[in-house]
Amino acid sequence: MNRVWNAIEDFEKFLNDGGVVEPVDDMPNEYRQAVFDFIEMHANSELMGGLTERDWIPKAPGLRHKMTVIAKTQDEIGHAHLLYMIAADLKIKTRKEMMEDLFAGKSKFHNVFHYQAKTWGDQVAIAFLVDAAAVISQQAVFKNCSYGPYKRILKRIIAEEGFHLRFGEESVLRISQGTEIQKALFQQSINDWWWPALQLFGPDSKPNDRLLRWHIKSERNEVLRDKWVQKFVPLLHGYGFTIPDSGLKWDEEENRWEIGPIDWEPLKRTMAMGGPDSARRISEASDSWEKTSWVREALEIVAS
Amino acid sequence: MMVKSTLTSPIKEYLLAFADDEHLMGQQHTEWIGIAPFLEEDMAFASIGQDELGHASMLYSLVLGDSSEIDGFVFNRKPEEWRSCQLVESNHREWEEALMRHWCYDMAEDLRWELFRKSSHPELVSISERALKEEAYHRRHAEALVENLLSVPSSKSRLMEALEKIIPEVLDLFSPMPGEEDAISSEVVSGKYCDMFPVWRTRLENRFGVLDPDLFTGIDDVTRTRRHSDFDVLFNRIREVFLLDPEATW
Repeated sequence: MNRVWNAIEDFEKFLNDGGVVEPVDDMPNEYRQAVFDFIEMHANSELMGGLTERDWIPKAPGLRHKMTVIAKTQDEIGHAHLLYMIAADLKIKTRKEMMEDLFAGKSKFHNVFHYQAKTWGDQVAIAFLVDAAAVISQQAVFKNCSYGPYKRILKRIIAEEGFHLRFGEESVLRISQGTEIQKALFQQSINDWWWPALQLFGPDSKPNDRLLRWHIKSERNEVLRDKWVQKFVPLLHGYGFTIPDSGLKWDEEENRWEIGPIDWEPLKRTMAMGGPDSARRISEASDSWEKTSWVREALEIVAS
Repeated sequence: MMVKSTLTSPIKEYLLAFADDEHLMGQQHTEWIGIAPFLEEDMAFASIGQDELGHASMLYSLVLGDSSEIDGFVFNRKPEEWRSCQLVESNHREWEEALMRHWCYDMAEDLRWELFRKSSHPELVSISERALKEEAYHRRHAEALVENLLSVPSSKSRLMEALEKIIPEVLDLFSPMPGEEDAISSEVVSGKYCDMFPVWRTRLENRFGVLDPDLFTGIDDVTRTRRHSDFDVLFNRIREVFLLDPEATW
């Protein structure tokens, strides 16, 4: 089926009626570009997430932990692999072009992966706070996603991310019952990762957000962010940790947590490739890509 | 009816050499996850690394009698107490070296597991059967990639150079292990690993052509008591989190 819409209004009516777009459809260019940009950023983020976590695989404290974090990183890179394939099907860029743009610092990835995992506590905080934020966002996209291939792949991604969350939850539980050194290490990780994880949801959605109008996303950023806050504030307090937000307070009337003002400057810096670890992350990835170009070139000759 | 062999101390030390090799081979593969030439290779190295660590875990459990003892045993051993070979301790900085190590190690690993298929210790029979199934995929992966890269002159020369650098380290893999004679006499294992070396060399030369015979002199009887100069860095990476607080459970 190769569906055609004569006017954007017809296309939007199709989406509002719950229609699902497939790659063979003659979708409006603006929609094609918007879906592509969204999936490309997701793919880049999965890959950069894998690179953020890879630093700690060889140092994992024990064989079982090591096998767990290998599987986790393998999942993240596997997600990137699937996402690059469906992004490439939109015929805007090839997978190679997307990866080269990423390593040249020309395309975006999520703010959290512009930070360095400096300790094993950071590795756990990523699984506990960041992966949870990512899953909340992905579930909201999956719920009503109008682009068929993305919706199908999100189903698998969300299922695998569930295992990552469990690794984070189990690790936090052990640390919270552990030694003072462990608790202090993880408290520092919360201090470092709380705000970046919270900012993963982005600033409040604009009233005319195209991603919402075209059912690529189904929830506003601020709604998802609040869902995460309401879950993780009591969880971290329950484990005996503090949250680095002096404005955080319990609203008795509304029966909910209110956070202090958000400083969006760090997010803006990461989006301009000026985050704390952006330069190292991109240059190391780029160097590895360059150093192994002979393999790809040789295999291209074989395939031709 | 087969009588289950008791794993005496010398036999345990013999098995430990295999466990240490598998552990450090898996460890070395993890270093390439995320920086391999393309995404499929990142995932392949992750998968193969997990398998090798899984084999190590099963062998350590057998030696120690309890899987909960593995991490304490691994972290607290002195370097001279390890029984790993030079090949898995060596830090390979180039992808072609990592790939050639993968090929060389996995073309030797099934030959090692085969020696346990008729073991008088039933657990070793079941571990070896499981490992051999996984190893078939490892060999297929290494072979497919190497076959393609050898067909292009520029990549062939890189692989051949890496191979010549690695072969002396591979020889150490086949060097005699402490406890091997005891393991053979109690039928825990059906023969000496170094007797499998000609089979491995035939595989090697069938794939890469006849190589300089001088490369193959040097299987010695140091019995894995010396450590590679890269070992300390490797061991420190393995223990970095553990050393923060040896009392901690993570």
